[in-house]
Amino acid sequence: MAAQTLAEAAVNEGNYAVAFPFFGAERRGAPVLAFTRIDSKKIFSKTQVYNPDCVVVLDDSLLDTIDVVSGLKPEGIAVINSKERPEDIDLGKIINTATVNAISIALEILKAPITNTAILGAFAKATGVVKIESLEESIKRKFGEKLGEKTGERNALAARTAYEKTIIGKSRGIKKLEARKQWLPTYQEMPVGGSLIEGKTDAGLIGPGSFIENKVSGWATYRPLRDREKCVMCLLCWFYCPEGTIHRISNRGDLMTNYDYCKGCGVCANECPVDAIKMVRARV
Amino acid sequence: MKKVITGDHAVAIGAKLCRVEVVPAYPITPQTLIIEHIADFVNDGELDAKFLTMESEHSVMSAAAAASAAGARVFTATSSQGLAFMHEMLYATAPLRLPIVMPDASRTLGGPPGIWCEYNDSMGARDSGWLQLYVEDNQEALDMVIQSFRIAEDKRVLLPVMPCLDGFVLTHTVEPVDVPQQEEIDSFLPPYEPDIILDTARPAMIGTFMPPEYIMEMRRQTAGAVESSKEVIQEINSKFAKKFGRDYGGLIDTYRMDDAEIALITMGTVTSTSREVVDELRQKGEKVGLIKLRFFRPFPSRELKKAVSKLSALGVFDRSISYHGGGQVYNEVRSALFGMTIPVINHLAGLGGRDVTKEQIMKMFELTRKAAKGEKVNEINWHDTRGETV
Ligand code: SF4
Ligand code: SF4
Repeated sequence: MAAQTLAEAAVNEGNYAVAFPFFGAERRGAPVLAFTRIDSKKIFSKTQVYNPDCVVVLDDSLLDTIDVVSGLKPEGIAVINSKERPEDIDLGKIINTATVNAISIALEILKAPITNTAILGAFAKATGVVKIESLEESIKRKFGEKLGEKTGERNALAARTAYEKTIIGKSRGIKKLEARKQWLPTYQEMPVGGSLIEGKTDAGLIGPGSFIENKVSGWATYRPLRDREKCVMCLLCWFYCPEGTIHRISNRGDLMTNYDYCKGCGVCANECPVDAIKMVRARV
Repeated sequence: MKKVITGDHAVAIGAKLCRVEVVPAYPITPQTLIIEHIADFVNDGELDAKFLTMESEHSVMSAAAAASAAGARVFTATSSQGLAFMHEMLYATAPLRLPIVMPDASRTLGGPPGIWCEYNDSMGARDSGWLQLYVEDNQEALDMVIQSFRIAEDKRVLLPVMPCLDGFVLTHTVEPVDVPQQEEIDSFLPPYEPDIILDTARPAMIGTFMPPEYIMEMRRQTAGAVESSKEVIQEINSKFAKKFGRDYGGLIDTYRMDDAEIALITMGTVTSTSREVVDELRQKGEKVGLIKLRFFRPFPSRELKKAVSKLSALGVFDRSISYHGGGQVYNEVRSALFGMTIPVINHLAGLGGRDVTKEQIMKMFELTRKAAKGEKVNEINWHDTRGETV
């Protein structure tokens, strides 16, 4: 929605813009990509963006695993949701960087860890591609239409606050991020019919059980905490958890959450009939 | 052993001889006799198979896919609306390389609803990755069920196969069929031994979600399997001919083509009738021949090109239309013959089960002859259709 809102703001300023998402295979909470192209004339290209002028990172835990600036133009800028200052962030190369603690702004103003409007404010500050006023206007309209006028205004305020708090500087360039390894078989190497048994490749495990390597906890902003006293062992949380993260410890009649695979979606807390589960910040 | 049986009965016996292990089924005219016979075989202890009565054809193909993925030899049969109803699952089975064999009793796909022979049911499945063949008599129907399993299960192929037999014209017509002995089939068709199956002792993932990084390779792999089925079909045809004395020609069959000047390409039972027409015309001194298109998928482009190389005109029979002019076979043939300069015209006949008579076939040859002489003829010719003059 951030990409769309940005496109709309740019169009309102008299430009042409396109915005589109790309979803990966994972479910809600998984990293997603979204692209926005802005130009003064009609844009015909319908491909994804590989060499952007600006990379916006909504979740700084991605910095540990993905080289987010690999395609960024040398004169481009990275806008990162982080509590750190640009010079404290290591992107593997020294490059223009803007940071803002969008999550705390969002929690304060929106009472939810939804950072996409705040980060737009940072984008406006860092790039000057759109005016903050245009953004505020399209945020109010877009979010207002869907979620009510109040929410629209609060989101606009989040953007404005982030705009004012954004720090612009240069990143550090020390760590070496290895390119993410991916199993990419040729059509001859592809198992017949794509059928997989347990296997190991240079890029990690494949086939049944390979998801064990895919620790999704990095996505989590919140994690569930269960109050044993309140819990009545109805097992609704166990049943509803989309990740199968909650286990029954049979001999003790108790439950256990494996935080490595908990993505912090809050479904369990929502389903619990006695409010025994509280979602608490996983990281600040 | 000679038996006088219907096409459906022949198909069912073929499946029994192949020792099929799982048969999910749903009845639909004119296929129903096939699964009724199978149900009898299972009930009478003549066939050791799991016979599953499903709630729809979509479920039939879902069950077939699952059983095949679990390593069973799977057989079912369908027709028309039933085939349409399982369309989604057809696309799930071929790229997953599940060698199911499913005869289609060719029947018009409504609307308007009808129960008689037309190929618009199976033509809709031509891009699913299923191999597809059309037979001209009950003997071929039985023999091709057996060959189909060998083709399907060949490691170079591993694709589902759909032998199509003309609804009523074969399914409900009795004629003599030479039924092979069980031992003969056992020595011709080895048991199905897949490499990866759904097995809790050795967990496997079959048919999982794939992002864009993989599906191009999957498609290319499936396309490669369809391509390599061509050589396998020829090979198995020869082996079958050697063992049983019946040579069907493989991808195509030809009749009196040696010095032919013009020819028809036909499919299904119209081929059979056309053989007599060719004989009659030959007796009058006309140099005509017949090309029987046996496999529509894979499409035998190379074989056809060779077969027509000496002709001065070609007529293509179609029993279904692609609604932009001609039939599907016509369009495939035209693209296969691209670059050749002989006139190729289309003969649409027998849609909705209208009987294709010798007179109509004579007319097809007559128009093709005109085209050969350079006279003006329509590109698309609707035979025995009111309001049209051909
Ligand atoms: S937050 Fe609850 S429901 Fe969501 S993944 Fe974690 S344990 Fe499962
Ligand atoms: S839903 Fe709530 S009460 Fe039920 S088992 Fe889970 S924590 Fe306990």
